Amino acid sequence: MNQISQTLDDLVSRFSAAVSAASDERELDAARVAFLGRSGEITVIRRGIGALPSAERPTAGKIINDVVATMEEQLIREAQRIQLRAFDAELATSIDVTFPAPASRLGTLHPIRTMTSTICTYFERLGFAVVLGPEIEPDYYTFDALNIPADHPAREGFDSFFITDSLLLRPHTSPMQIRTMEQHQPPIAILAPGTCYRRDAVDARHLFQFHQVEGLLVAEGIHMGHLKGVLTGLCRELFGPQQNVRFRPSFFPFTEPSAEVDTTCPKCKGETTTCNMCGGSGWIELGGAGMVHPNVLREMKYDTDVVSGWAFGFGIERLALTRYEIDDIRRFYENDPDFSRQLR
Amino acid sequence: MRAPIAWLREFVSLPTATNEIADRLAMLGFPVDAIERRPQISGVVVGRIATIEKHPNADRLQVCHVDVGAEKALIIATAATNVAVGQTIPVATIGAVLPHITIERRKMRGVESEGMMCSADELALNPEWFDDGIMQLDDDLPLGTDVVAHFGLSDDVLDVEITSNRVDAMSMIGLARELSAAFGSPLTTPTFENPGSGDNDAPSVTFESGDCTQFIAQRFDRVTNGIAPAWMRIRLALAGQRPIDRIVDISNYVMLETGQPLHFYDAREVHGGHFIVRNAHEGEALTALDDAEYTLTPQSLVIADEQHALGLAGLKGGKSSAISPDSTSLILESATFNGARIRTMSRVLGLRTDASSRHEKSLPPLLAQWGAARAAQLLIASGAHAYAAHQFGTAPSPAPVIEITEHAVERTLGMHVPLARIAMHLQSLGCEIRTETASSLTVAPPLWRRDLAIPVDLIEEVARIEGYDGILAVLPNVPVHSVSSAQYRLEEQLAQTLVALGYDELLTYSLHGSDDLKRAETAGIQTSHSSVEVRNPLSEEQRYLRYTLAPAMFLHLARRTTPARVFEIGHVFYPFGESVTENNVLTFGLTIDAPSEPAWKDQGFLMLKSDVEALILEVTGRTGTTTADQRNGLHPGKSATLLIDGAEVATFGRVDPRLQFAYELARPTYLAHVYLDRLPDRRIPHYVPPSKFPSTYRDLALVVSLDASAAQIEDIVSQSIGALCTSARIFDEYRGAQVGEGRKSLAIRIVLQKTDATITDEEADAAVGIATETLTRDLGATLRI
Repeated sequence: MNQISQTLDDLVSRFSAAVSAASDERELDAARVAFLGRSGEITVIRRGIGALPSAERPTAGKIINDVVATMEEQLIREAQRIQLRAFDAELATSIDVTFPAPASRLGTLHPIRTMTSTICTYFERLGFAVVLGPEIEPDYYTFDALNIPADHPAREGFDSFFITDSLLLRPHTSPMQIRTMEQHQPPIAILAPGTCYRRDAVDARHLFQFHQVEGLLVAEGIHMGHLKGVLTGLCRELFGPQQNVRFRPSFFPFTEPSAEVDTTCPKCKGETTTCNMCGGSGWIELGGAGMVHPNVLREMKYDTDVVSGWAFGFGIERLALTRYEIDDIRRFYENDPDFSRQLR
Repeated sequence: MRAPIAWLREFVSLPTATNEIADRLAMLGFPVDAIERRPQISGVVVGRIATIEKHPNADRLQVCHVDVGAEKALIIATAATNVAVGQTIPVATIGAVLPHITIERRKMRGVESEGMMCSADELALNPEWFDDGIMQLDDDLPLGTDVVAHFGLSDDVLDVEITSNRVDAMSMIGLARELSAAFGSPLTTPTFENPGSGDNDAPSVTFESGDCTQFIAQRFDRVTNGIAPAWMRIRLALAGQRPIDRIVDISNYVMLETGQPLHFYDAREVHGGHFIVRNAHEGEALTALDDAEYTLTPQSLVIADEQHALGLAGLKGGKSSAISPDSTSLILESATFNGARIRTMSRVLGLRTDASSRHEKSLPPLLAQWGAARAAQLLIASGAHAYAAHQFGTAPSPAPVIEITEHAVERTLGMHVPLARIAMHLQSLGCEIRTETASSLTVAPPLWRRDLAIPVDLIEEVARIEGYDGILAVLPNVPVHSVSSAQYRLEEQLAQTLVALGYDELLTYSLHGSDDLKRAETAGIQTSHSSVEVRNPLSEEQRYLRYTLAPAMFLHLARRTTPARVFEIGHVFYPFGESVTENNVLTFGLTIDAPSEPAWKDQGFLMLKSDVEALILEVTGRTGTTTADQRNGLHPGKSATLLIDGAEVATFGRVDPRLQFAYELARPTYLAHVYLDRLPDRRIPHYVPPSKFPSTYRDLALVVSLDASAAQIEDIVSQSIGALCTSARIFDEYRGAQVGEGRKSLAIRIVLQKTDATITDEEADAAVGIATETLTRDLGATLRI
């Protein structure tokens, strides 16, 4: 019995020395296996209990169990010590966080799409649907149905590319008004972005290919104040919460009353007279708008006594030039990766 | 149109500030494109040269006594050579401020000069348009009159844009009327009474074309041509119209004042005094006033006499009947034409004039009467005799009466305008209120406003005068409707997904030249389609519509200096009989640095395929099946089609090396086309709970012949095992000496799982055994151990 106690004392002191000397988890575990493992020293001692007189066996067992409990406690403490030291070591390391990361794997949307989706998202929030349509249109959708009969002077304003006598590359997105109204009964609330073509000589502000976004709302009780409200919201979405919208009378065959839509110059806010964006007027032109002409609604067999509506058409490049302060419209078609990256 | 504010002030009282006038015009729908700021000139008065003496000390100078209506004449020394006693001239007195100089008392070679006689230049008028030297004024001007105030020389000039529906406003009176309505200040117009009377030798007009609806002909005698009065010349000059001679100036002046273009004929040259308005004969020749020669077709409308064409209707007069210095008898034409006809003519002849820019918009017939009357008044003032005007064709007819209600105004504008104000605004524009109830008016629009035809036209007028700023911004309640955004959402999702996969979006032109197509042909690749051609391209580089997005993408990729991933979504066009088919296509492509790999491997292809599959799965929720395919432009052995429900939704592969070379693409290039119109609607996914029991797997190495495809093997495995097999996927390929010529080794992982119990090793082995047997039977596969 005493011999067991003595052996245990010796064992504990060796164990204690081994585990406190362990400098990592591996050394600690080696000590655990040597003393407490399946064929470790404790197991050997336990096997010795059988040789003791039966009266001493319970006491011996208890002594061994107590020692094992003490050892296991120390093992936990040592494990904690090693863990803390590992933390300290890790925490003592540092890197140069300014070292450049690998290039982003994300691609870029074209700024025209970014601009278009910003506009569409705003209108979808209001309950509008976004519709897309063909770029080659019959003259009926482009002109006739929009109250621009064959000999109307306004046709010349849309200097169009013709494919045949009656097919042309659409010079505006307004045909989508007709396509939608042909297929649906009121109420109608749509936005129609898309590519348009006009025979414009190319310069910093003009291209023969460009994008427009058309809006159309036809329902009961719709008036011009709603047009101003929705477009004011759009301008605030695009250019900031202080934007205002101004309507100026204008003429488009498919709207009456018609308006040119201006918004506060986002650059100078109308506060300087030398602004290079607005020319000092304090306003930026966005495009045309107005109440849908009764002839257009009647062509669609809509009852003009019941429903009324408004429509607008804005050039997306024009909006993007203003929003991003771009110097030349041709940049949109150069596909310089840096251009898209800057404007993402 | 250039509108001198001084001229507008003749008809309406206006604010002093130019900007206030310009802003109001803009808010009436007449944007001011530019403002010509006139210099502020002062101290210039009307004087008359009383005496002229030689300067005592200088040969080149003369000393004049100039009467400026004061007690004492001014002594002025001048170097000008065009001075003569009795001339009425502008005199800048001591202290006068001219554009470049302030006049001070000074000695000229010993003679004290008390002012300066002014040239046109010194009054900021184009010197080339006026007398050399000292400017000559009209003799009837009271001496001492302030020249600047009298002629409005310091009033700015506006460049006003006039929309095509408002031809009535293409005149000083027209714009003045708008400003009168807007500022609530009365409009004073000249009388439009024609003072002419009697005619024993009256001109006659025959209409052989319906495109001239009215022709007012009026004869004048005792005409002396010469220089027009200074006030007229100055006004024309301010309006940007060069003064020529009295007759030309009167017709220009009346056109600018009333909007009606006029034409004068030398009466001697109008055979029988009989005008015929007819289509030109095929090949008929005409020499215009400016000596330009025209060979006409029946598309052109001419004013002719019984012998030949005298002028191009509504565009320009002819040389044969032009006014010459010795003309004393004239016939005036003040006519109304069908605008569409004039517009076509103008386009065909490539000739646009001040007259045609008005006639092409169909002038109101009333203006022809105003024009003739004003011309007659001005000619009489110059000493001519006017015979009665003879009106041929249709006289102006009143437009139908229109009803407008207070409710309709509010319903359209969202702004309440009381009926009394509605009436006031419409009257200020010349409308006549015929009847009035508590809430409605019946309105007769003025004869010059042919654009006012339906109630909403009047509502716009009310809004313009009330001011568009009065329209309050409110948000509508957008009702529930049936229009879907599906197509747009699909494009958005494709674009967003490709960006996440590392692709940059491109935007290229739909129009291109033939070069892009030729490159493929030169490279030995048959083009799969012909191109839709534009009839009226801007240049050869934009004659054709693209039928594929690939060439533009190649051109872009060839410029990129590092491996790149790009995509574009756009429309492509194919001829379809007499018509055109238009498809919406997504093309994406990538380039890689050339890897070193055996010919039967292509990692670029697998990178592309991975993205095609990811993209299609993302937007359709479907995986589809890939089959080998051959497409023009793609490598015949390295291209594929992705099918969903039998529809080809995408083709993809490595770009044909000949095309890669033709486009100078330095790197292996891969392209995928996704046909958006063929993509199935996105399926709503349904959840299938996973098995609660663990799965196991077996990896096999199979040796098969080279023509066995991975898809074939995977299909055989999963079909022969059935429901137990949750996945069978080839993950490696080996070819070489160890498997022998004509064979390849494929590694496949077969995942097995049961839904009601843990699968046992025996069950798994049995299942794989069946698969192996089937592979051996169907493909002659052997296991490689």
